[in-house]
Amino acid sequence: MPMNLLLVVFTLLLNGCSHEPLYQSQSYVFGTLVDISIYGESEPRARELANHVQQEFQRLHDSLHAWKEGSDLTRLNAAFAQGETPVPVSPELAQIIQDATTLSTRSNELFNPAIGNLIKLWGFQRDEYSPVNIDADAINALVKQAPRMSGIVIEHGTAYSKNPTVRLDLGGYAKGYALDKAAAYLRQQGVKNALINIGGNIIALGQHGDHPWRVGIQHPRQPGPIAMLDLPDGWAIGTSGDYQRYFELDGKRYCHIIDPRTGYPAQGTQAVTILVPPAANAGTLSDVASKPIFISNAGDKAQAAQMMGITNYMVIDAQGKIFVSAEMRRRLQWPEKIMPKEKHVRLENLP
Amino acid sequence: MSGWKTCPKPLPGDWIVISAGLLLVVMLFLTLWHGEHAAKLRIRQGDTIYATLSLDQERTLDIHGPLGNTRIVIHQGRARFVSSPCRNQYCVHQGWLSRASQVAICLPNQISLELLGAKKSYDSLNY
Amino acid sequence: MQKNIIINTTADDHRIARLAALAIGLHIAEAIIPSPLPGVKPGIANIVTLYVLYRFDFATAAWVSLLRVFASSLLLGNFLSPTFVLSLAGALSSLFTLALGVKLPRRWFSPISLSILAAFAHIAGQLLVVRLWLIPHTGVAYLLPIFATAALLFGVINGLITTKLLADKRP
Repeated sequence: MPMNLLLVVFTLLLNGCSHEPLYQSQSYVFGTLVDISIYGESEPRARELANHVQQEFQRLHDSLHAWKEGSDLTRLNAAFAQGETPVPVSPELAQIIQDATTLSTRSNELFNPAIGNLIKLWGFQRDEYSPVNIDADAINALVKQAPRMSGIVIEHGTAYSKNPTVRLDLGGYAKGYALDKAAAYLRQQGVKNALINIGGNIIALGQHGDHPWRVGIQHPRQPGPIAMLDLPDGWAIGTSGDYQRYFELDGKRYCHIIDPRTGYPAQGTQAVTILVPPAANAGTLSDVASKPIFISNAGDKAQAAQMMGITNYMVIDAQGKIFVSAEMRRRLQWPEKIMPKEKHVRLENLP
Repeated sequence: MSGWKTCPKPLPGDWIVISAGLLLVVMLFLTLWHGEHAAKLRIRQGDTIYATLSLDQERTLDIHGPLGNTRIVIHQGRARFVSSPCRNQYCVHQGWLSRASQVAICLPNQISLELLGAKKSYDSLNY
Repeated sequence: MQKNIIINTTADDHRIARLAALAIGLHIAEAIIPSPLPGVKPGIANIVTLYVLYRFDFATAAWVSLLRVFASSLLLGNFLSPTFVLSLAGALSSLFTLALGVKLPRRWFSPISLSILAAFAHIAGQLLVVRLWLIPHTGVAYLLPIFATAALLFGVINGLITTKLLADKRP
C-alpha cells in the first residue's frame, strides 16, 4: 500500500523569530492529508503523542477502508452481499454501524453510508478515479433496491443485512470518527492544546498560545481561504465540497457526494461548511452533518441543518453565492479582497 | 510675472481626465494591493519539507513522489504545479498561487505547495 | 589668424537651445535632490516640454525633450545606462501621448489634462522597460499604485504651473 504508508514527520515551526512550543506532524492517511498540531508540550512528548495518533488513524483506515481487500469493512460488505448469514463483527465496528444508523435516520437518509454500490458505480471507490460511463439502468435499479442502514441487523456480536444491496462506505463518517478518537486520546493524555486536521475536517483542543486556533475555510474554486474563523476549545469544523473528489464529463461536474434519492451526484452546491459545538461526537458530526445540507435542494437546506442540529453553517451555491446562518456569520472573518462579494452573503433564517 | 493669486482653473475636460486618473489609481490599488504579497514558497514532499524557496526567482523544479515526477514552476513571483503524474490533475488545475496562505496539494503524489507571508494568517485549512 | 568655424544657426535653434538648457537644469536639479520615495520624482522638466508644446509646436517640444534626456545623461555620466534608457523610454512615451493629446479641443482640455496624460504615459513607458528588461517579475506591479498616485499628483501640479506660465505675459 504505497499510498497509505504512514508518513509521520514533524516540523518545528519557527514562527517569525520566536520559538513557539508548537509541534506539527503531517502524514497521508485516509487517502488525504493529516495534520496534527500540538501546542505547549515538550517536543519529544508531542512527537510521541502525534505518532500514536497517526498510528491509530492508520489502524482505523485499514479497518474501515471501503474497497481495499482485507479490511474489516470489505469483509463485512462481502458477507452482506452473500445473504442473511450473520458474521462476527468487532465491538468497535458494531458501535460505528449503530451510530451511523442513528445519524442516517435523523437525516431522513440523506446521509446514507449504505450506498457503497452507488459510489462504486460512479467510480469513486478508487484511489485514482476517472470519468465513468453513466449507467442509468444500474443506477435506477440500485435506487429502487433502496439500500439503507436500517437493513443491517446487529445482534450478539454478529451482523447481517436483510438487503443484499447494502454496501457500507464510511467515507463521510470515518474521518470525523477518527477526529473524536484522537481528541479523546489527547485529552486523556493531559494535552491541553492541539489542532487535528484530517482532510479538511478539523477539531480543536484548547488554543494556540494566547489566542484561539485559527482556521481558514477553503474557497471552492480558488486556491486559498474564502473566510477565516477562530475555532474554540472542543469545536469541530467540516466541509462537504464538490471540489474534493469529482470528475468532469461533457462539461458537467460530477462530485463524490451522491444523492441517495436519485443515485446521481448532488448538484447545485459548491460547498457546505458546518461548525459543531463541543460534544463527545463533535468530530463525527462535523463530517456527517454537512452531507444532508449539501444534498438537500436550495429551499430545504435550512431545514436539513435544523434536522441535524446544526446552527452554524455556510452554503456556497453553484453560482458562487454565499449563504450564512446568523450564528455562523458572527464568527466568520472575510479577507477584504474577497468581500466585495459580501453583497452575495445572505443571512439564512431557520424556519 | 503676475502673482500666484489667480490660480488657473481646470476646464471641464481636465476634470474628466483628473477623475479618470483617480479612478485608475484606485483601481490599481484595489487590484494590485489586495492580499499579502507572498515572499516564499514551501514545498512539502510526503513527510518532509522538500524546500522553502524565494518566489523572487525563475525556477523549474522536478520533484519525485510515489507516482513519479511532478513539475513545479516559480515564475514572476508566483508558483504552480505544471505537470503531475496523478490522474485527476487537480493540482495543476489549481493554477497560479500568488498570495500568502494559498495552498495547492497533490494528494496522489503527496506533494504540497504553500505560499508563506510574513505571518501565517491561520493555523489550519478546512477544505 | 584665428579660424572661426561658423555654423549657421536659426532663431529656432537658439530658442530650442535656450529652452533645452532650462529643461536640462531642472532635470539635473531633480536628479541631484534626493527623493523621499526612490523612483518617485515630480518631473518638473516636463513643464518646459509642455510649455514649448503650447508656445511653439510639437516638433520643438520633441527636440527640447530629447535634447534634455541626452544632454542630462551626458552631464550626469549615465549615458546608455539603465537610468538613461528609463529616462528615454519615459520621454518617448510621453511625447507620443502629447502628440495625440495636443489634438484635443482646447476649449475643454487645458495643459493640465495633457500634463496628467503625459505623466501617466511617462511611468507607463518606464515601467514597461523595467518589467521587460530590468526586473522581470511581478514585484514591479506592486509599486505601480504608488507611481500612479505620484503621476496624478505631479501631473496636476505641473499642469497648473504650465497653465499659469502660459497665461503670464512673455518675459
